[in-house]
Amino acid sequence: MRHPQHYDVIVIGGGHAGTEAAHASARFGARTLLLTQSVETLGQMSCNPAIGGIGKSHLVREIDALGGVMGKAADRAGIQFRVLNAAKGAAVRATRAQVDRVLYRNAVRAFIEAKSGLDVFQQSAVDLIVKGGCVAGVKTQAGIDFSAPAVVLATGTFLGGRIHIGMDNQPGGRAGDAQSNALAERLRALPFSVGRLKTGTPPRIDGNTVDFSVMDVQPGDDPLPSMSFLPEPHPRQVPCHITHTNERTHAIIESGLDRSPLYSGAIEGTGPRYCPSIEDKVVRFAERTEHQVFVEPEGLETSELYPNGISTSLPFDVQVELVRSIRGFERAHITRPGYAIEYDFFDPRDLHHSLETRTVGGLFFAGQINGTTGYEEAAAQGLLAGLNAARLVGGSEPWCPGRAEAYLGVLVDDLVNLGANEPYRMFTSRAEFRLRLREDNADARLTAKGRELGLVNDARWTRFDAKRLLIEEIRARLAGVRLHPDHVGGRRFEQVFGEKLSRDTTLLETLKRPAVEIGRLVEFAGFPFTVTERDDYGAALAQLETDVKYEGYIKRQDEEIARIRRHENMVLSSELDYRCIDGLSSELRLKLTETQPKTLARAARIPGMTPAALSVLLVYSRKLDASG
Amino acid sequence: MSGLDVDTIAAVATPPGMGGVSIVRISGPAAAGIGRLLCGAPLKPRLAAYRSFRDGGGDVLDEGVALFFRAPRSFTGEDVLELQGHGGPVVVQRVLEACLDAGARMARPGEFSERAFLNGKLDLAQAEAVADLIGAASVSATRAALRSLTGSFSRRVDDLAGDMLGLRVFVEAVIDFPEEELDLLGDGKVKERIRQLHAELATLLAQCRDGALLNQGIRVAITGAPNVGKSSLLNVLSGQDAAIVTDVPGTTRDLLKVDLVLEGLPVTLVDTAGLRDTEDPVEGEGVRRARAEAGRADLVLVVCDVRNMRHASFETEAAGQIPTIVVANKADLGDFETGRIHESETAVCVSAKTGAGIGALIERVKAVVGFHDQEEGFTARTRHVQALREALSALDHALVLGSDGSPSELIAEELRVAHDALGSITGTVTTDDLLGEIFSTFCVGK
Repeated sequence: MRHPQHYDVIVIGGGHAGTEAAHASARFGARTLLLTQSVETLGQMSCNPAIGGIGKSHLVREIDALGGVMGKAADRAGIQFRVLNAAKGAAVRATRAQVDRVLYRNAVRAFIEAKSGLDVFQQSAVDLIVKGGCVAGVKTQAGIDFSAPAVVLATGTFLGGRIHIGMDNQPGGRAGDAQSNALAERLRALPFSVGRLKTGTPPRIDGNTVDFSVMDVQPGDDPLPSMSFLPEPHPRQVPCHITHTNERTHAIIESGLDRSPLYSGAIEGTGPRYCPSIEDKVVRFAERTEHQVFVEPEGLETSELYPNGISTSLPFDVQVELVRSIRGFERAHITRPGYAIEYDFFDPRDLHHSLETRTVGGLFFAGQINGTTGYEEAAAQGLLAGLNAARLVGGSEPWCPGRAEAYLGVLVDDLVNLGANEPYRMFTSRAEFRLRLREDNADARLTAKGRELGLVNDARWTRFDAKRLLIEEIRARLAGVRLHPDHVGGRRFEQVFGEKLSRDTTLLETLKRPAVEIGRLVEFAGFPFTVTERDDYGAALAQLETDVKYEGYIKRQDEEIARIRRHENMVLSSELDYRCIDGLSSELRLKLTETQPKTLARAARIPGMTPAALSVLLVYSRKLDASG
Repeated sequence: MSGLDVDTIAAVATPPGMGGVSIVRISGPAAAGIGRLLCGAPLKPRLAAYRSFRDGGGDVLDEGVALFFRAPRSFTGEDVLELQGHGGPVVVQRVLEACLDAGARMARPGEFSERAFLNGKLDLAQAEAVADLIGAASVSATRAALRSLTGSFSRRVDDLAGDMLGLRVFVEAVIDFPEEELDLLGDGKVKERIRQLHAELATLLAQCRDGALLNQGIRVAITGAPNVGKSSLLNVLSGQDAAIVTDVPGTTRDLLKVDLVLEGLPVTLVDTAGLRDTEDPVEGEGVRRARAEAGRADLVLVVCDVRNMRHASFETEAAGQIPTIVVANKADLGDFETGRIHESETAVCVSAKTGAGIGALIERVKAVVGFHDQEEGFTARTRHVQALREALSALDHALVLGSDGSPSELIAEELRVAHDALGSITGTVTTDDLLGEIFSTFCVGK
């Protein structure tokens, strides 16, 4: 039967990509349907119970600045917050929240249900309706047809999923949930290139059988950080613990390797190098006598623990033995075995930067299906795919942020250009313009854009605008105070800060010096209460200080960015036969033939590329254009 | 403007060491300003003006004719400045450096032509030539530039880039994996390693500037059977009586090297002992070294007697992968045009005695090593030196940042800039390469 309601956008999948996609689409004003196998698992965290961390929290702040769900849900569900890299600089500083799974799921479901124009429906999608090369709707298990001109596919690991524990394996999405085989079959029939990836989880442990007294305690930060620009109240806070594997653990693992699906060849998918299973760590780094295990609570109302660091697909009997060899886990009871999961993903090089597929109009892919890993990476893609699906239906151009604008841009650009050889995870070192993509300025970078795109509501906009004006006011006040080395003010400045003034200068200019800290500077300037008593005063100061101190770096990068922008506009002829270009080294010829870069900017990011080789490409390409 | 870049480029437009006039050419938006700075007053477009060329400090570097062309009516379609001076290579280099100090960037090989083409100043037929030129330039100029410095230059730049990668792997891993137990090296070690890199880079740069690494050029080995006139050929090419030349076979028992510039192409000619089986242990050693030398060369000249070319094909084979030119010497003793060895090999006929055919031989040498434009080796070298300078300046900053308590992300940024500068010589290193190194070096991840 045909469902009576026509939708603008249908999102398939209720995970982090799907919920963020549906919410963004509805924020934009599109009539949206979220189709999920189970309403109970909306916003389910299937891996570790944490949101944020290096590179990832940057994505969360960006999602948040664009009015998304993840940051606020993490605030509502976070039971331990820490700021990582606090001393390494404002750009790589990153907030991470340990999260209560149940609270998180509840928060996400509440945001979804509260959103007007967004309907949720529980049914498995079994087929896409495609007409004339464009998507037209979705068929569900019970034979209900939904029609919509745009569909976002956010089905995570549910396509062709296979779970491995030791030498046993069985089809499955995530432990305990069915996989979506019918849809997988159907998609395999469409012209997408399909690859196989692998990821894993550790065994879960009953906290009542664990001795915490022998472990290191890791409390959260004080003052308590938040994820969202509009912070939500946090629940009760609890600590994490740290323990270590030891040589006995490693010996147990080695003795079980012959029954490991990883080493016996049963697993064909590629796992992430940065998130190795414990058997991988022991084999590859044999010289290490111990590895850290972060003991993370699964929630406030459960004693179950997530021992982060011992992800494994070894047989269950080996899992029991290896867990019990770890300090504090001697009598541990495993509540759920660890497992590896293999799943299908679609080569993201078949996508536009809007995340729309190149082959089926109106069909968007988001999340793990594109070869990424992580809730934050999934949510970020979901937001972009949902927004761009809604924009497509509304007849607007897609929004594709650049690499110098947001981690969202780095993420999509990497995927679309490089594909995924392993599950793709965000790192700050992936962003060449890292210094400008800070957690603390995500609001400044993206809120105005989000407002323009129709994603940001009045409450956020008012709050943002106030902070922006406050920063401007502080800046103007500091710029208004002139110091002269021979006058009273100048001499007082030199006394307070121990810094020499060589010429007439403003307080704002002195802020560029590493030794001049803004807190002391505003104290020195003596601001009125109307400024200092504001809620966002501290955040405004921090943002202004980094902006001023990093100005020189940002300016230097501007030139680089301008050059890349020009290169992005330089389309390389698709008829270029790189094998015939004498001026290129054979290595580059090979890489170019493989990569087939569409623009000069893309070619510039091929390893081994030189400025001279870029010239060659451009000239050859123009020559072809001119003669063609 | 549709080119790769919109900045201002400069280069010496005349072959080094040739003729009385040398031209520094500048193209781009800053050309007019640079002209005003160096010549002391604004230049009128299309009007030759005799001026002193001064550096930033006001010192006179040279005197000569300054020409200014306003865009788009110029060779490249951009503002173009030409400074035609009379000074020798050192003076020209100083004029060029004054232009670079005034805001120009060293041009890449063929970049003037490239800009001309991209701005529609060349037709398709000409463009063909430009593409070939730049095409040849990018590989051969890199090679030529590396040769115009010594082989050890390229090895040292590679080593530096390798060390830089190693350092960045550590710095970036500590940033992206703060909870891992990586900090075995500690901050002091990072500073120490930056200081080391800085010192090595500074030494290399100073040596480049001093010319200690210049002019070795490509290595050309001259081999062939005894008494075919290898040493005579070397003498005529180098214009000096460097090798002992007699009629007794096996006269040259040691390797003999001469550095020279063949029409702009810097070359180290190595004369090797006559190749023949011998009982004499001294001569035998010479032969062994000759074969080794031929194996190290960029190009081998197999010399034979035009009247007896039997040995030539054997020697050609012996040279293996190295490009080879067969030189049929003693053309004065017969009436030979071009000797044919076998189907694929054509010999160049010369007479070391009369000098006949030497010009053709030099042309062939340049063609075989891909040296199309006399300027390219030298501009490329200057470009490499400039890249080293950029890298050094970034490391300067990194050292300051390391000692004033600045956050490590700023040090990481300076290292990125320095690495990118080295990458413009050795090839781009992507963030993906960097992460790959991190994962294979450290056990990271939960």
